[in-house]
Amino acid sequence: MGIEVLSNCIGCGKCVSVCPFEAISMVNKKAVIDLTKCTLCGSCVVVCPVKAIVIKREVSKKDFSEYKDVWVFVEFGDETDPLKQGEIKKVSFELLSKGRQLADKLKNKLCAVVLSYENKNYENILKDYGVDRIYLVEDKNLLPYDTEIYSSVVISLVNKYKPSVFLFPATYKGRDLAPRIASSLYVGLTADCTALDINSDGLLVQSRPAFGGNIMADILSPNSRPQMATVRPNVMKIEKNYRENLEVIKENIKINPSLRRVKILKRIKNPSSSSFKLENAEIIVSGGRGMKTKERFEVLFELAKLLDGCVGASRAAVDSGFIDKKHQVGQSGVTVNPRLYLAFGISGAIQHIVGMKNSDRIIAINKDPNAPIFGVSHYAVVGDAYEIAKKLIEKLKQSCK
Amino acid sequence: MPSFDSITRNLMIDSLRNYAKRKLDYDFIREKDAANECPLDILREMYDPKVLGVHLVAIPKEYGGLGGGTFDLYRICEELARIDLGIATSVFATYLGIDPINVGGTLEQKKRFLSRIANERLMVAYGATEPDAGSDLVNLKTKAERVVENGKIVGYRITGLKQWISNGGIADLYTILALAPQGPSWFVVERNMEGFTPAHHEDKHGIRLSNTAGLSLDNVYVPFENLIGGVEGQGLSQAQAVFGYTRLMVAAFGLGCGWAALDTSIRYSQQRIQAGGPLSQKQGYMFKLIVPHAINLEAARCYIEYVAKRIDDGEHGLQTEGAIAKYFATESGNKAAEDSIQALGGYGYTRDFPVEKIKRDVKITCIYEGTNEIMEMTIYRGRWQEHLKTRGEYYMQMAKELEELSKKNNETGAYEASLALKALANILEECRINKLTRHQYVTFVLGRLISMAEHSYVFSKTAMSDKLSETVKFDLPTYRAMARVFAKNTALKIAIEGGSTVLGLNESSAKVLDKINLSEIEKRQYGILSDMEMISSSLVQVFKSK
Amino acid sequence: MKNIFVCIKQVPDSTEVKINPETGTLIRQGVPSILNPYDHFAVVWALKLKEKNPDFSVNVISMGPPQAKAVIQLALALGCDRGYLLSDVLFAGSDTWATSYALSMAIKKIAKPDLIICGMQAIDGDTAQVGPGIAAQLGIPQITFCEEIEIDGNKLVAKKHIDDGYDLVESILPCLVTMSMPKDFELPFPSFVDIANSVSKEITVYQAKDIGADENLIGLKGSPTQVSKIYPPSKDIKTVYIQGGTIEAVEKIIEIMRNENFIK
Repeated sequence: MGIEVLSNCIGCGKCVSVCPFEAISMVNKKAVIDLTKCTLCGSCVVVCPVKAIVIKREVSKKDFSEYKDVWVFVEFGDETDPLKQGEIKKVSFELLSKGRQLADKLKNKLCAVVLSYENKNYENILKDYGVDRIYLVEDKNLLPYDTEIYSSVVISLVNKYKPSVFLFPATYKGRDLAPRIASSLYVGLTADCTALDINSDGLLVQSRPAFGGNIMADILSPNSRPQMATVRPNVMKIEKNYRENLEVIKENIKINPSLRRVKILKRIKNPSSSSFKLENAEIIVSGGRGMKTKERFEVLFELAKLLDGCVGASRAAVDSGFIDKKHQVGQSGVTVNPRLYLAFGISGAIQHIVGMKNSDRIIAINKDPNAPIFGVSHYAVVGDAYEIAKKLIEKLKQSCK
Repeated sequence: MPSFDSITRNLMIDSLRNYAKRKLDYDFIREKDAANECPLDILREMYDPKVLGVHLVAIPKEYGGLGGGTFDLYRICEELARIDLGIATSVFATYLGIDPINVGGTLEQKKRFLSRIANERLMVAYGATEPDAGSDLVNLKTKAERVVENGKIVGYRITGLKQWISNGGIADLYTILALAPQGPSWFVVERNMEGFTPAHHEDKHGIRLSNTAGLSLDNVYVPFENLIGGVEGQGLSQAQAVFGYTRLMVAAFGLGCGWAALDTSIRYSQQRIQAGGPLSQKQGYMFKLIVPHAINLEAARCYIEYVAKRIDDGEHGLQTEGAIAKYFATESGNKAAEDSIQALGGYGYTRDFPVEKIKRDVKITCIYEGTNEIMEMTIYRGRWQEHLKTRGEYYMQMAKELEELSKKNNETGAYEASLALKALANILEECRINKLTRHQYVTFVLGRLISMAEHSYVFSKTAMSDKLSETVKFDLPTYRAMARVFAKNTALKIAIEGGSTVLGLNESSAKVLDKINLSEIEKRQYGILSDMEMISSSLVQVFKSK
Repeated sequence: MKNIFVCIKQVPDSTEVKINPETGTLIRQGVPSILNPYDHFAVVWALKLKEKNPDFSVNVISMGPPQAKAVIQLALALGCDRGYLLSDVLFAGSDTWATSYALSMAIKKIAKPDLIICGMQAIDGDTAQVGPGIAAQLGIPQITFCEEIEIDGNKLVAKKHIDDGYDLVESILPCLVTMSMPKDFELPFPSFVDIANSVSKEITVYQAKDIGADENLIGLKGSPTQVSKIYPPSKDIKTVYIQGGTIEAVEKIIEIMRNENFIK
């Protein structure tokens, strides 16, 4: 395994500035790679105009033919709420949907790993999500969650049944458990994947952002099994996939209660009316001076509620008295990066754009076709912001019924 | 005094930056600037050793300070200027006020005063300038009359007026220059001494956060122990001795303000979209308002560091070098700030954006610590002597050195810089032969050209190294391109401005154009535009808007 | 006397990292390096514990290139007692597993740990895996995503995040905690005096052989994960203008929101 600069290097230096690890320098007009810094990420290979840089990757000599199937760790919701603690969390379905696609590509099974204090006929729910098999462990010691208990249970399942791929949700629980397991097993784990796929070698390609989201990286774990990955909620799409024959394998694992070395003294649930979180909002409905009056601006609150989002505002709207300053998005307000940013009647002064241009999807509505906000929007609607907001509310209410 | 190691120094700069982020944000500074208010609480807090202890870097370790070197002080001054030049001036005034004690004080005085300043966190002011004595300090009128008892001098009574004193209204301790019978001398005056009255805080164009006040001394009695050095008449030489490094600090101010302004314009240019694209992609805009200033500021930085290292290595008497650094860096900083207002257009003209304030602030750097006209004269005088002493070889030697180096590596404009130095040598010689330096105007022009030439010499030479200074944010190719362009510009400027000045006075100097080799210099201008293109892209990458 | 270890990392300030618009790849030119903010927070907590118990010994440890000494010195200036830098050509290219392994071996060599404090994640890798990795390899309990910690006799009490709120937990020592920093927390920076004094505090540099690390388990060789490609996130925005009157526009907006999973 290694990297080499071939003799056709023309000394253009493009590779030098591109290396994220400052591993390349020019010596006598030829690129020289510092192997102590190089991580074989391949950025230089991509940018070389004469293809003078070559990376040789070691092909795994290990035999992993025993390792099959895609496993998904099923997470349950809200242990603080006795009514919710047996409910499967939405992120589990997202991972199962993705897991189904991966299993199809591998021509393997999709298996759900269910650790529960009490089985509540989960097979009836899981068969809608393409699950072929459930590995079920039922034990009172599994509530509340404990790192070392869960870790030892999952590891014994892994050692017995040998999965090829194992996905975990990147929730607080998942991010506590997955690395513990991966470290104990000495296997590769990639956190917060935004995409997963199988490549031509049958390996799991784990894609994730790095360097603060400035670049994307594809990661492989070729020499260990299972290939583990965590995925955040709201990243994968849910796809229902009905499975007629769902097999349930109940494992009787003897759990030693003394494994629980961390005691929970008190559990504090988040208050239902959690504090205003514009900065963390996934969906923001934002308004500017184009909403014209305070009363008209207020429809945005209704729209935000329908979309389960927060209300934002431009400085102009705040200055005009339409809304309180705490909703202000922009240079002298709050910087946001929601998945969806709807801008109603916002012209897009630099100070505002700076605060919201990292949004995943921006839809802007403004009467002025030259409004600067359109320069950073994915979708632009030239029209009356208030009218469109009102119509949206009407249509959304209709489809909810 | 040697400087701290790089990691230690940069940790201090980080702490300073972080303090400013928390306590000196732009809104706060704007407010104080509008109200013409000095944030005394903040300044005092900066002296708190548990918070920063910013005054301690100028005090030697043996008196309770941290004993910083010149390179450390340059970096701290640059960073302070980036935060606010008024705050920077106030801190610098303490450093300056400490100098006469540091340089001329007896051991007992150093122990007494420096330890107090360190431990009691005293603010100091440097009281030299008077209403009628600025550049012309020899003309000072503040008098120190001896008080004699039993045939011994027990003290002095000081009477006079001081003008434009930084920290004038807020300092605890003042070093005052007064005319004693044997000549100008420094005295330490305490704030609460009878007869000592600071005047009101001036209403200034810029550095409004810096308390500037006149001082009135009416028969202020100071004991003999407060005469610095214990000997009368040492005042001017004590002041002169530190000019090398104090001028460097003001050069650092010019650099800091220049980059603060330029940083803003480069980031703004990427966000401002006009005519289908960001201003940062428009060559006319970038090549006029941005790139030349970046080049000049990097040249200024390079030269400042060169002088700072020499002082830290123990060299004395670098007053001319200090003047060269101060002159060039402050002129460059001013021009960068001015063009930054232009670069931001209407927005730049409002107080919402920082550039108009930076422009107002940075103007003072061309005035205090020696006006830039005095600098031009000082540079000329210092180097004219060298030219005469070496019979014209002073700059020819430097030119030959660069010419040799350019044979191995001409990526840094060493050859063009050698042309510049040779042209300068020839112009100086022409002035000597025709006695042109009896025209004061010529001496100012020469000071200007010498400053550029020496900057180019240091820049082109430094850029040959494979390892760049810790302060340079650009990669090697960009840095070398900057040195190249600077060298070409310098050569052309010296040839044309020097040549025309000489020709303006002396008809028979027409042959000087051949000696200056103007045609070769013109030919070597090739490549400037493509270099500027590279520099322009690099600037946009390094100062990426968020 | 208790031995507290704080694991820290020097990272590029990812708010300053830039992309080359032509190739879409990273530019490291002029990007400053900082102490990972979560690790900085971890140091703050280690020192809070030391304030209450002056006999605690706080060792700060980092794996990195020689320049990483800067963040160790920062930690010493803030008040840590001793610094350790794991720096060796053989460590280069380590993923989170290999990093956890090296740090665990070093900790075992230096002193028996009573408490190990890590920042929850590094802002360059964002994996949050090294802390639990060390805990697993040392076989000690872990408490992740803590906002507050306190030592009570031979126990550690922590307030930690769970998915729907907080848990107040207790663990025996030794254990490992990872710290989650509240959004508006103001990280303290040392005064010039503290920085000047930190020059005299000891920083020991360890190579792989000094800590008895197996060469096959460190660096690129020892890393189970490999980067196979780096590329830009998504193309520049190509604005799509939605045509039509109010009704058509609204229908189109709803369609977009549905397709992209914003509404059901």
